[in-house]
Amino acid sequence: MTRDVLLIGLDGATFDILDPLMEEGAMPALRELIDAGARATLRSTVPALTPPAWTSLVTGRGPGAHGIFDFFRKDDEASPLFRFLTSQDVASPAMWSYANNEQLQSTVLNFPLTFPAPKVSGHILPGGFMPWRQLRLGCHPEGLFDRLRALPSFNPRELALDMTQEAKAIEGCSADEYEPWVDMHIRRERQWVDIVQYLRKTEPSAFTALMFDGTDKIQHLCWRFIDPALRETLASPWDRRVRDKVREYYSRLDTLIAELRESFADATIVVASDHGFGPQVRTFYVNSWLERMGLLAWREGQAPASGDATKLGLDQLARHVYQIDWSRTRAFAPMPSGNGVHIVKADQAHPHGVPAGEYRAFRDDLAARLLEVRDPETNEPVVLRVSPREALFSGPHLSLAPDLTLELHDGGLFSILSSSESVRRRPLPTGTHRPEGIFIAAGPEIRRGVRLEPLSILDVAPLLLHQLGLPIPAVLEGHLPVGAVEPQALTSRPPRYDDISPALTGVGDAALDPEAEAEILERLQALGYVE
Amino acid sequence: MTYTRDQILAEVLELLNSVAQDWEFEGPVGAHTRLFADLAFESLELVILGAKIQERFNQVFPFPELFAEIGQRQVRDLTIGEWVAFIERHLNQPVGAVAVPTRAPEGV
Repeated sequence: MTRDVLLIGLDGATFDILDPLMEEGAMPALRELIDAGARATLRSTVPALTPPAWTSLVTGRGPGAHGIFDFFRKDDEASPLFRFLTSQDVASPAMWSYANNEQLQSTVLNFPLTFPAPKVSGHILPGGFMPWRQLRLGCHPEGLFDRLRALPSFNPRELALDMTQEAKAIEGCSADEYEPWVDMHIRRERQWVDIVQYLRKTEPSAFTALMFDGTDKIQHLCWRFIDPALRETLASPWDRRVRDKVREYYSRLDTLIAELRESFADATIVVASDHGFGPQVRTFYVNSWLERMGLLAWREGQAPASGDATKLGLDQLARHVYQIDWSRTRAFAPMPSGNGVHIVKADQAHPHGVPAGEYRAFRDDLAARLLEVRDPETNEPVVLRVSPREALFSGPHLSLAPDLTLELHDGGLFSILSSSESVRRRPLPTGTHRPEGIFIAAGPEIRRGVRLEPLSILDVAPLLLHQLGLPIPAVLEGHLPVGAVEPQALTSRPPRYDDISPALTGVGDAALDPEAEAEILERLQALGYVE
Repeated sequence: MTYTRDQILAEVLELLNSVAQDWEFEGPVGAHTRLFADLAFESLELVILGAKIQERFNQVFPFPELFAEIGQRQVRDLTIGEWVAFIERHLNQPVGAVAVPTRAPEGV
C-alpha cells in the first residue's frame, strides 16, 4: 500500500452551511469528494472549542488525557492563575509523533498548539496564536521559513497572526472593513495551499495535515450573511455584497480543495472540522448571575464597571485574581471561552471556600440552580446541561478541568463580563460553536457514497493511523470507523492495536501577563468567543 | 551546566536577531534595548519567545512572576538585559522541574 494521507481541517465547518452551498453549486469539489467517499456528522468535545477539539482529533485522546480543556489552564488545582497553553502542555502524542515513531514524515500546517514545533520528521508551521513576527521560530525544520519566503505568494504577515489586522476586523467592523477582511482570508488559504503544493513537490510526506481556519472566523463574524435561515435579514445592497463576498470565500475554498484532491489523487483524504456552528441568540452573564446568587463578590471598589456590557473588558481578564473578594466567593467563571465554572475550595488561602466535605452537595446544588436560569423575554431555559468534570473527562489532568461545564440551549458561550441583567437577547444572531462538526473521507480504501451514523471526533485518529498502515494505540479513546472502510481493506489489512508510546518533546510553561492575556482575549473576541 | 550572563545574552540576542530580520528592523539590539518601546513587541510575542527560551535551555522558567512584575511598573517595559538577568537567576537555580517527558504521563 502507499502511505499517503491528507487531512484537511475546516475549522468550525458545519453541513448546515456546506450542504446548501453544495446544493447551489458553489462547492462542486466538496460535493464530488463526498460522492466519492463517506460522510458523517462528527461530534466534538465538550466544550466544543478549538484547542481541546483539534487536540483530541489529532491525538485520539480526550482532554482529561491530553490536558487541553481551553485556551488557558490552571497551573494546579488550587491556583488562581491561568496560563496560555502551548504544544509543551499537550500530554498525549499526536498523529505526527506516531508517524515519526514509524519513520514516516509529516507535514503539519496551521494546527493549534503546535508551537514550539515538535521535533518530528517533516515540516511544521504552527497555527492559532502564532504572531507573524515570530513565525520563523515556529517553522520546523530550521531553514524552512527561508525556503518558503521564495514562494511568490508567501506573506507571513497574512499567513500568521497580525494583531493589527485582527484588531481592524474587530473594532472596525464597519461596513467597508468586512469585504477586505474576507479577502485577506481568501489570500491566506491560498498561501497555505501553495505551501502544501511546494512541500508535496519537493519533500512529500506520508501524512499531510492542513487546517483552513477562515471558515471559523468568517462564520463567527459573518454568520448572518451565510446562514440560509437569515437570508431575509439581508436587505441592503451592502448586506448582499458582504453575503456575496462570504460566498466567494467558500467558492475559492472549494477550488483549493479541488487542487489538493488533484495533487493527492491516490491518497486517502479526510476532511474534518473540530466543531460545528450555529446562531447564538442570547448572552448569559454567568459571573453576574453568580453574584446575584451570593456566590461571588468583588473586592470593595473593584467591581468591574457595569458600563456597556456588550463591550469587551480587555483589562478584566485577570480580574478573578485581582478583583474577586476571595473571602466571599465560592464559584467563578474565569475564562470566556470554555463555559467552565470553577468552585473555590477551602484551603489556607481561601478559608471561606467550600470545604471538602460539602463540595459534592455544593456542586450539585449549583448545577441545579444553573439549570433553572430562564430567558426573561421568552421564559425558555438558558442552560441545557451542566456537567461535573468527571462526567466529561477522565485522565491525569482531570483536576485541572472546570468543576462544572455548561452547555447552553443556543449552543453559545457565556460571558464573564458584568451586566445588570443575567440574560440578554442579542439584537441579531451571531455565529457560535455547535457540537456537530463534519467528517468526510475518500480514497482507494474508503467506501463510496456512504452516509455514516455520527462519529466521535476521537474516531478520526484511528482511521488516519489505519490508512497510514500504522498500529492503533490501545489507549486511544475512539474507534476505527469501520463503516467508512472497504471491507476488503479491513480483511487484507486488519487494524493492528498496540501499546505504543512515542516520545513527547518540549518543555514549557508559557504563562501570560495580564496584557498578553488581554491580547489573547482580543483575539478570542475577533473569533467571536467573547463579548 | 552553568551559564554566564554573557552566554545567556548571546543566546537571547541570537534569537531576537533571527526574527528581527523579518520585520526589517535595522537598529542595534543589545542589553539596553526595550522590548516594547524599541522593538514594538506585543505581550504575546514575549510569551512566544519565552516558550522558545524554555525550549532552548530545556527548563521551565517562572515567567508569570516577571510578567506580573512588569505589569505593575509605571512604564510598562522590559529591557533585554533585565530579561537575561531573570533567566540567569532561574537558569542557574532552577525552580521548575525539567519537563521533557519521554513518555506520556499516563504511560501511553
